[in-house]
Amino acid sequence: MDMVFADNLVKSFSTPDGKEKRAVDRLTFRVGEGQIYGLLGPNGAGKTTTLRMLSGLMAPTGGRAILAGYDVAEQPQEVKRVLGFLTANTGLYQRLTARELLIYFAQLHGKTKQDAHDKADHLIEWLGLKDFALLRCGALSTGQKQRVNIARALIADPPILIMDEPTLGLDVLSNRIILEYIKRERDRGKTIILSTHYLDEAEDMCDNIGLIYDGKLVAEGTLDVLRKQSGEERLSNIFLKIIHASEKVEAAIK
Amino acid sequence: MSSLDRIRTIYIKELIDILRDRRTLIAMIVVPIVLYPLLMVGSLQAVTIQAKSLDEEKYVIGVVGHEQKNLLEYMLQWDAKLVSQEHQANENEAADSEETKAAAPLGELVKIIAIKTKDALRVNIRERAIHLGIVFESNVFLKAIDQQNGVTILSDEADVRGQYVTSRLSDMFDRISNRLVEQRKKRAALPALFDQPFAIDFVNLSAPQSILGQILPLILILMTITGAIYPAIDLTAGERERGTLESLMVCPVPVIDLIVGKFLVVTTVAIMGATLNLASVTATVYFGGFDMLIATSGQGLPLGTMLLILVCLIPFAVLMSAMMLAVCSFARTFKEAQNYVTPVILAALLPGGMAALPAAKLEGVMLVMPVGNMVLLTRELLLGAPVQLGHLLTVLLSTTLYAGAAVAIAATLFGKESVVFADSGSMKTLFSRKLFKPMRLPSVAMSLLYVSLLFPAWFFVQSALSPGPNESAVSLLQTSAWLMPLMFVLLPMLMMTFWKVSVKQALSFKVPSVRHLFSAILLGLCMWVPAHELNLIQYQLLGMPQAFAEQAESMAATLQALPLGGVILIIAIIPAVSEELLFRGFLMGGLSSSARKWTAIIASAAIFGVFHFLLFKFIVTATLGILLGYLCWQSRSIWPAIIAHALHNSVAVISIVSPTTFERMGIKLEDGAHLPWTVLLIGCGAVVTGLILANRRSPSPQQSAIVTA
Repeated sequence: MDMVFADNLVKSFSTPDGKEKRAVDRLTFRVGEGQIYGLLGPNGAGKTTTLRMLSGLMAPTGGRAILAGYDVAEQPQEVKRVLGFLTANTGLYQRLTARELLIYFAQLHGKTKQDAHDKADHLIEWLGLKDFALLRCGALSTGQKQRVNIARALIADPPILIMDEPTLGLDVLSNRIILEYIKRERDRGKTIILSTHYLDEAEDMCDNIGLIYDGKLVAEGTLDVLRKQSGEERLSNIFLKIIHASEKVEAAIK
Repeated sequence: MSSLDRIRTIYIKELIDILRDRRTLIAMIVVPIVLYPLLMVGSLQAVTIQAKSLDEEKYVIGVVGHEQKNLLEYMLQWDAKLVSQEHQANENEAADSEETKAAAPLGELVKIIAIKTKDALRVNIRERAIHLGIVFESNVFLKAIDQQNGVTILSDEADVRGQYVTSRLSDMFDRISNRLVEQRKKRAALPALFDQPFAIDFVNLSAPQSILGQILPLILILMTITGAIYPAIDLTAGERERGTLESLMVCPVPVIDLIVGKFLVVTTVAIMGATLNLASVTATVYFGGFDMLIATSGQGLPLGTMLLILVCLIPFAVLMSAMMLAVCSFARTFKEAQNYVTPVILAALLPGGMAALPAAKLEGVMLVMPVGNMVLLTRELLLGAPVQLGHLLTVLLSTTLYAGAAVAIAATLFGKESVVFADSGSMKTLFSRKLFKPMRLPSVAMSLLYVSLLFPAWFFVQSALSPGPNESAVSLLQTSAWLMPLMFVLLPMLMMTFWKVSVKQALSFKVPSVRHLFSAILLGLCMWVPAHELNLIQYQLLGMPQAFAEQAESMAATLQALPLGGVILIIAIIPAVSEELLFRGFLMGGLSSSARKWTAIIASAAIFGVFHFLLFKFIVTATLGILLGYLCWQSRSIWPAIIAHALHNSVAVISIVSPTTFERMGIKLEDGAHLPWTVLLIGCGAVVTGLILANRRSPSPQQSAIVTA
């Protein structure tokens, strides 16, 4: 079964001069259970907007999104129950400790107090947050914050994880720790959508890759498929070649 | 996990979060505990120091010519003697010399300068080289009993020192005059009381609270506002600014729960802040020994008054917190929120200030004026004036309505896409009609906001239309019958059309089933039976206001003179249709878009009850509202409720206009008489049958579509 199904998603914004701009343009893709799907593209390609529509934070202008069988527009609460969402620059409640924060989000997901405590302690143990679990979030380093954030996204043990640039701005060590977390979650059977513009990271992690450029999905497939399609070895070259091709096509249409 | 559990979780977390914030603590604790006493002591000392220094300064008095200088010096010496005599007398009487030792004799403080002309004197005073000028008509001291000396005193009213000498000098004239009068009476052999036909003693009976009562309500508004501002901003715009909003919005929690939790925290902090403020002011007043300044009779503040103020604080805090939260939910940054908050404070202070005017009274439109009614209520309570239960309830219920509307607005705005994401186009999307999505039902915020704006407006119309002594009640009734469809139906319809709400669906213009029509007829014809009995119980408990009874009688006389058809149209049918479309259509529809069945029915019925302004009838109207709401909900159509309401009203009209119709059936509707048990049995039986009939719910359009397919 497809855990995530983006069906012709469209999001248009009106620009200050009154024109309409499509940030996401008829985007369709599917993600199967236990897979990491990499949504790749340069800044401003529409990755974040797509993820926000998948999570129900933004209403699509057109199309629909189905997560674990629930339509995001029709059953937003059910979707939120099966979803862990991590945004690129998520803040934490500065004046709560990491542990308090995890307990709070567990309770918001409907866990009883005892359950929430157990769940938080389990994640603290599992993700190695012990050293700073009792510090206020305001006092944590960027890498520690991101680790707490991942714990927050995992707190309800959701089958689907959406992660928007989870390694943005992290040092090599934190980067590695977080990528390891994500792989472990995939191995536990979770469906993961990962957006990034670090291509080597995607090469290493993703089972399936969608290249998004100017709001459109310009190529999709496993790394091998993409290699064959483009005749390039490295993902960054594949990427450049495909973008280049799509620009040519567009120019020809015009 | 229930809604209440979630709200509690949110409440606890937000409260911990906000109380750990240094800025909250400073605003809440340091400011009142340190700043108030400091300000109070400081400003009082400044006043005392200024008063003292005025007593010790040197002043210059100008006179015209040396002869007048001698005259003034003579008078000053005499006055000094009179003053010291007075002191001795006082000391013999009582040891309390606190006031009498206040100032040195005027003679020691002034220097007298002789100036040549009156004009030069004027110039010197304007230039403040001289504090006061004095011109005597005669240059000698006149002692004969039939003589009078004209005195002109020149001073600059804007000069503090000039004013001080003027007042001291006029004291001097008083004392000397009194002494001269005594001497004159002796010489003319007149009795001592000759010039004192009255001995007037002004006794001030004002309680110590009276001055407080005037100013305290306004201070309370300010205190609660200052308490609510920071948390309101921090809990709404702060979430967005710190980037925590997205994680929060992807949690499976309804926005209304989030907002209610946050609203309760803001209210708590506002109450805590105001309590600390109040405690600090009280402590400063007591321990600083300044209670004399506030309490006119010098008894200080009774503890009971302080408790009363604390209780009054709660509705203030509720309303202010809800308003703050509503405007801040619209903001994306702290700065933006602060910009929105300022006009709201000003807007709140305006009715508050109006109500603080001494002439304002808790009656008429002031009863439903947001903020203003609370200010007046607090004032009445503080002054110990008796407050009618009806007034108290009107104020509290209308405040609840306004706060509810504000919370609903906050819930609609908070987490809204265009507010969460600055990059998702501009704020214009909230108002640009092109981008609105068609909706089946109005939102809770839309219907609550409209109803809470309509409430004071309708109250105003009602009180403006209540007939004066020379006005015809009929024409006023007609005006009201025209206004009702306009305000209750047309405006909401326009509003819904603008926001692309399907009017047909929102107002449930669906053909009802025969079963529900039958139920409506039964209820409409027989609801008056239980309503009548309920009314009797209520009159026995609360009593019927005399004014209302009289009004009802004169109304009956007016109506009997009119054609029955017209009366039924104006009093029974038009209000029934308008009220149903507003309360069961627009309001209940809006509420049902996010509340459950009984919440929507009961809340709309309660507001329906409040709208009738006669609070001693609240229970009966609200109960009818529940029955009509149930009928509307079960039938998914407005028509049964309209029919039942119109029939019910018509029965009531007939009972007023032609009581004989009822008498023929053996029913007497005299005051306080219970209905015959046969009528009771039949009536209640019919109502129960009607309800049983209504119990089966009509299928929703989707369901019926499936059936026909």
